[in-house]
Amino acid sequence: MVRIYVIDNGGQWTHREWRTLRDLDVETRIVPNTTALKELQKDHIHGLVLSGGAPRIGLKGSLGNCAEYLDAAEFPILGICAGHQFMARHFGGKVQPSKTPEFGQIELSLCIEEDSLFKGVPKKSIVWESHNDEVTHLPKNFITLGESENCKIQAMRHRDKHFYGLQFHPEVEHTQYGEHIFQNFIGLCEE
Amino acid sequence: MFHAERFVEKSISILQSEIQGKALIAFSGGVDSTVCAALVNKAVGDQLIAVHVNTGYMRKDEPEQVKQLMRTLGLNYRYINASTEYYQALTGVEDPEKKRKIIGEKFIRIFESVGRKEDIHYLVQGTIAPDWIESGGGLRDTIKSHHNVGGLPKDMKLTLVEPLRDLYKDEVRKVARVLKIPVAERQPFPGPGLAIRIIGEATPERTKVVREACDIVEKEIEHAAAKGLMELPWQYFAVLIPIKTVGVHGDKRAYGNTIAIRAVQSVDAMTCHYSTVPHEVLDTISTKITNTLKKKVNRIVYDVTNKPPGTVEWE
Repeated sequence: MVRIYVIDNGGQWTHREWRTLRDLDVETRIVPNTTALKELQKDHIHGLVLSGGAPRIGLKGSLGNCAEYLDAAEFPILGICAGHQFMARHFGGKVQPSKTPEFGQIELSLCIEEDSLFKGVPKKSIVWESHNDEVTHLPKNFITLGESENCKIQAMRHRDKHFYGLQFHPEVEHTQYGEHIFQNFIGLCEE
Repeated sequence: MFHAERFVEKSISILQSEIQGKALIAFSGGVDSTVCAALVNKAVGDQLIAVHVNTGYMRKDEPEQVKQLMRTLGLNYRYINASTEYYQALTGVEDPEKKRKIIGEKFIRIFESVGRKEDIHYLVQGTIAPDWIESGGGLRDTIKSHHNVGGLPKDMKLTLVEPLRDLYKDEVRKVARVLKIPVAERQPFPGPGLAIRIIGEATPERTKVVREACDIVEKEIEHAAAKGLMELPWQYFAVLIPIKTVGVHGDKRAYGNTIAIRAVQSVDAMTCHYSTVPHEVLDTISTKITNTLKKKVNRIVYDVTNKPPGTVEWE
């Protein structure tokens, strides 16, 4: 059984991420973001989800031990909202307050031809958002996978590793292909 | 996947070792507390006492229906009418968080006094995931203090038992179907009741207005859904906005309050889309509310906010 943990950065939907993984028959747990990487390695996890967070947490400062996970992980990592923003900052990108914050229903446009995380997701689909800040400059070694009208970096990926960042929330019921995206992520963790 | 049968089995064995002695359950008659009561009753039988508190902010005929439900379920129950106390405690209170906290604390004080009289040490609550998620704590921001979590006083004497803590409403409904409980498909109703469907002070008089409006919205929407005009929403109700606007009633100037109709689609209450209620249904609701409550209400609006950015209830 594939084992993927959810790092809790204090998001409203952290538990939803856990639920989606559990619904897809993943062995999963919510762990505080202060958990040492060693502890996670002891459990032989196959992947990690960095949850969204409390207000403005993605903008500055550290995010528990998330930096440690990103530096040392040999497994796939999916950063969502604040988790995505922190991933970008950690690798040298920039996060700023959004000119137009997005809440609720938004159209996502994919801007790549092929990607493992978005396999089977159409070019345009409905996703749900809830953010005040966003990634404005991509870190080196990352590529943009998707955008929306008001947010140019909705999804990004590391060039060599299975590190993904999503500004939107694939874990909520109203995101059209949310469960599909999680299924693809699980596939990457199983590799 | 979530397996309701397995969940029931596992919970019963956990509850049997967790509850040593008598327990009381805060019973509102909603899906969560009803499922919780049936589950705990299955585990510890008559050691469980259901307590229903009439806060004065219940919907039309609700206290009677809840009593009937407790009898149907074969529960050992107590009914406490505390409306006067609640109205008094909320006099002059306008802030939604204060309302929620006062209501939450009052519930506990009532349960503690029942506990003292009947030598009960456990308080069972039908708390589900969105309740503690939205109540915040630690890293998580407080969106609203659910009466059963963020509204709990710090010096509470009873030991909490919350078997549904990790479940969402759709999962609770699956458990309800396994336990064959009649309220499985009932729409959610918040613990603070109509008090948080009145913007501003929740006076007895305003409560009457919003209770009548809620009743009309519920009946008309259920009627329309039964006729196949629309899908039954996840939740549907009225909100009283004490903002006065000008109207005309039979050649005479009118100056009354506003009612907002709220109806949303959801699976787990964590994200919601406003429902597309057909205009003819909105039309009937509008006419019925303004004609029934003509001295109080002369304007009806429809809420088209999703969650996020809104929440389902207005407070």
